[in-house]
Amino acid sequence: MSAPTADAAEFAILGKDAKALRALGAERHLSLSDLEWSAIQAHFKSLRREPTLAEVETLAQTWSEHCKHKTFTSPIRFTEGRKTRLIKNLFAETIVAATESVKKSWCLSLFEDNAGVVAFGKKWALAFKAETHNHPSALEPYGGSETGVGGVVRDVLGCGLGAKPVLNTDTFCVGRPDYAGALPEGAHHPARTLRGVIAGVRDYGNRMGIPTAGGGLWFDDDYRLNPLVFCGTVGVLPQWAVKKEVKPGDLIVAVGGRTGRDGLHGATFSSADLGADAPSSAVQIGHAIQEKRVLDALLAARDRRLYRSVTDCGAGGFSSAVGELGAKCGARVRLEDAPLKVADLDSWEIWLSESQERMVLAVPPKNLKALQAVFAAEHCELAVIGEFTRTGRLLVTHHERTVVDLDMKFLHKGLPRAQRDAVWQAPGSSKPSGGATLKLADALKKMVGHLNVCSREWVIRQYDHEVQGGTVIKPLQGVRHDGPGDACVIWPHAATGDMKDPMGFSVAHGMNPEYGRLDPYWMALACADEALRNLTCVGADPGRAALLDNFCWASPEDPRQLGALVRAAEGCRDAAKGYGAPFISGKDSLFNQSKDEKGKDLPIPGTLLVSAIAPVPDTTKAVTMDFKGPGNALYLIGRTNDELGGSLYHKVLGRAGGEVPKVTSPATALDGFKSLHAAINRGLVQSAHDLSEGGLALAAAEMGFTGEFGCLLDLDELPRDPRIYTHDVLLFSESPSRILVEVRPEDESAFLRHFGKGAKSAPVRRVGSTMANPILKVVGLDGSVLLEEPLKELKEAWQKTLPGMLE
Amino acid sequence: MSVRVQPSHTHFVEVRLKPEYADAEGAAALALLRGQGLTSIREVRVSRLYELKGPVTANHASSAARDLLGDPVTHESRLVSPAASPLNGMNFWRVEVWLKPTVTDPVGETVREAFAEMGLPRPDTARCALVYRLNGRATKPQIEKAVAKSLANPLIHRVVVSESHP
Repeated sequence: MSAPTADAAEFAILGKDAKALRALGAERHLSLSDLEWSAIQAHFKSLRREPTLAEVETLAQTWSEHCKHKTFTSPIRFTEGRKTRLIKNLFAETIVAATESVKKSWCLSLFEDNAGVVAFGKKWALAFKAETHNHPSALEPYGGSETGVGGVVRDVLGCGLGAKPVLNTDTFCVGRPDYAGALPEGAHHPARTLRGVIAGVRDYGNRMGIPTAGGGLWFDDDYRLNPLVFCGTVGVLPQWAVKKEVKPGDLIVAVGGRTGRDGLHGATFSSADLGADAPSSAVQIGHAIQEKRVLDALLAARDRRLYRSVTDCGAGGFSSAVGELGAKCGARVRLEDAPLKVADLDSWEIWLSESQERMVLAVPPKNLKALQAVFAAEHCELAVIGEFTRTGRLLVTHHERTVVDLDMKFLHKGLPRAQRDAVWQAPGSSKPSGGATLKLADALKKMVGHLNVCSREWVIRQYDHEVQGGTVIKPLQGVRHDGPGDACVIWPHAATGDMKDPMGFSVAHGMNPEYGRLDPYWMALACADEALRNLTCVGADPGRAALLDNFCWASPEDPRQLGALVRAAEGCRDAAKGYGAPFISGKDSLFNQSKDEKGKDLPIPGTLLVSAIAPVPDTTKAVTMDFKGPGNALYLIGRTNDELGGSLYHKVLGRAGGEVPKVTSPATALDGFKSLHAAINRGLVQSAHDLSEGGLALAAAEMGFTGEFGCLLDLDELPRDPRIYTHDVLLFSESPSRILVEVRPEDESAFLRHFGKGAKSAPVRRVGSTMANPILKVVGLDGSVLLEEPLKELKEAWQKTLPGMLE
Repeated sequence: MSVRVQPSHTHFVEVRLKPEYADAEGAAALALLRGQGLTSIREVRVSRLYELKGPVTANHASSAARDLLGDPVTHESRLVSPAASPLNGMNFWRVEVWLKPTVTDPVGETVREAFAEMGLPRPDTARCALVYRLNGRATKPQIEKAVAKSLANPLIHRVVVSESHP
């Protein structure tokens, strides 16, 4: 290790050729492209000096994929079949454009802050953000997912003037826990990764006192080297605290943890393929208790209005936080004033360290004393490390030596945009082919026990989903509290103090990488549809839903991968427009591919997680998915088409091809959701469950074994494409926008009055009834009995899979 | 001018469940080790080992072990010597899993602060390791390999395997 301040010396890049610069970048894990190197070279040439090491590190970090989302914001030459067009900025042309066209007055902050913010009643607002922490979790699953939760909690804490976290969500994509193939040196077995990431989310969320009550699990062996860890947080804040601004003269105050050598190069590391040479410094262990102290002190200071702006120290540490806060004015930082964990840190290490549990505030000097008292009361450290200026420059010194002196404009706007090529080739024949044939009953039993459907109780029971006392609809439901819920409903008023307000909110997810293998465009629409119908099922208002996108993709340098990503982004655009649901925030994680044991690239399947949030106007009317009694009518909303492409049924049979489920008319789907919402709000619905993996058969089975009542379904009554004559399609097709609803006989006519009869209205039809005998009975088109399965057996098959593999 | 140098000591405090209590953490670790092929291991018991450096006397360490680091009802604690214990040939192994010095140890940090809150001198550093006591026949390389694939991650952990007392 070189002596402190040695890095303030020059870092010679002028006159070096591309090869030498590339070597320099590789040595320091800078992940800068040739184009970026030459922009840096040109800038310092015009200044007639060499940069310092800290300056190059600051630029590399600020310009990293992680911080600037280069792929989404740079020009792309997109070739689809024979047509080629130029996309100038994928993000602006899809996600942002759709959100702007949808225009909702209740969106209070979009894309600019650390999280998206929507209004929640007249006084309050909800901040929602989902992050990924994939690369760190691949190296160290426990620490990676733990700091993933810590990071997204700080995002919400650093949103506006600070929101109080009231819900955590977690979604994991991992290899099968019983994977028996070879793995490259240094890779963790998927079972170990899964145990680790669950433990990390559990320990951080539970220790901070935030309920973890939503999420999902997806198993696919292509995730075995690059597991995906999505962590989400919802926070509640008063509407006056949504806006923030930094004024020149405000002090730069660092609060929370001390700065150490942890997590160096986390941001630049996310811009590179994951390989055996990953720097161990990119991995950290979280300190939940420290973050809880920061949370408590910060919210106390917020309510006394002691600071003007706040942001979290995420990837890039002080460099990123101070750089962002001071982007419009300028900042002057003295590194010697930052509290350190160890004394021997180089200046650039202090500046770039990604030590966890730190936040940066902009504090008017007159408030400093009061702020110090608030933080001291929580045993939380606080240090003034500089001030915001009017100079438009970022000036960092360490013991009077200049370490960084950069123009904010060059830092934030100087990134050269490289054009990339993208290719999309629509898949050929969609006819299903191959695979075995199974009896319907056997297929159903296999499907309920399939890893992507089976009970998640083994995971969910590790999380505290009750803390804060507002979890109205819990992740596990039914008479024995062990059935699969569609979404959680949270009543957050323990945090607001409005104890008489019955309004809550719900968070739901949609994800299906199998559809993406066939067509990422339809996958995106299906994901948004799934998230919205899950929300609707529990009683949330689908007309007030806001969405988050999280794209996880392989290398965008492969034109086919980038082409698929463009398709998915365009699907998101059309989903937002079609459902009138704006995207309020999002994140992308690229380069999720690694060399497998044979040295071949193993990319993950293109993965999109759509998270949705919507208010539940009256949480006392929220609905769970279990059958409530015998003799009730079962209605199916939505039309069934022959859409088995990427379905669980095909997966179980080993069949390829088929039509991917398509949302051809989001407006019709939304009409169905809104009608159902109105009926739920009037107390006319006993239970509702969305049809997703496994289609109608699986949804009915789950509602049955969770409520311990049977049901009789008549396939001839299904609203459907009249060309379907096969029973397996009707039972297992995964056509989107469908919900199975239980209604008491006396409420049927009132229920039906909520549904329109126009051409654009969603179809709704009575398809059967519940019964006391706990079996799933299905009558086919010809009147014969197709299925007569005891629910107990189905439930056992559904419950034993995960414990069988992990215990 | 005279400079008073604070005496600096290093103490190791081990806190473990009393033998009459079932050790769920140990059972989970046993299942993981067996999953890695160490089927000859019959039992695993887990304890925590704290390394305290700084102006802390043996008395301070003992009182913290009793009142802070363990539960006096279910745990027993003792000051241990870092020296390797004499071999006894009884097929007992001791596996210590420490976080590497470059990785932040949140438990250790909290222990440091808690010392001060108890009115004891604050240690300069405190680190916490998990100690697995394995009962069963195996070779050291077998244990090291199985631990690296289940209980520890070589990227962030330092593992010390030694033969030990029951």
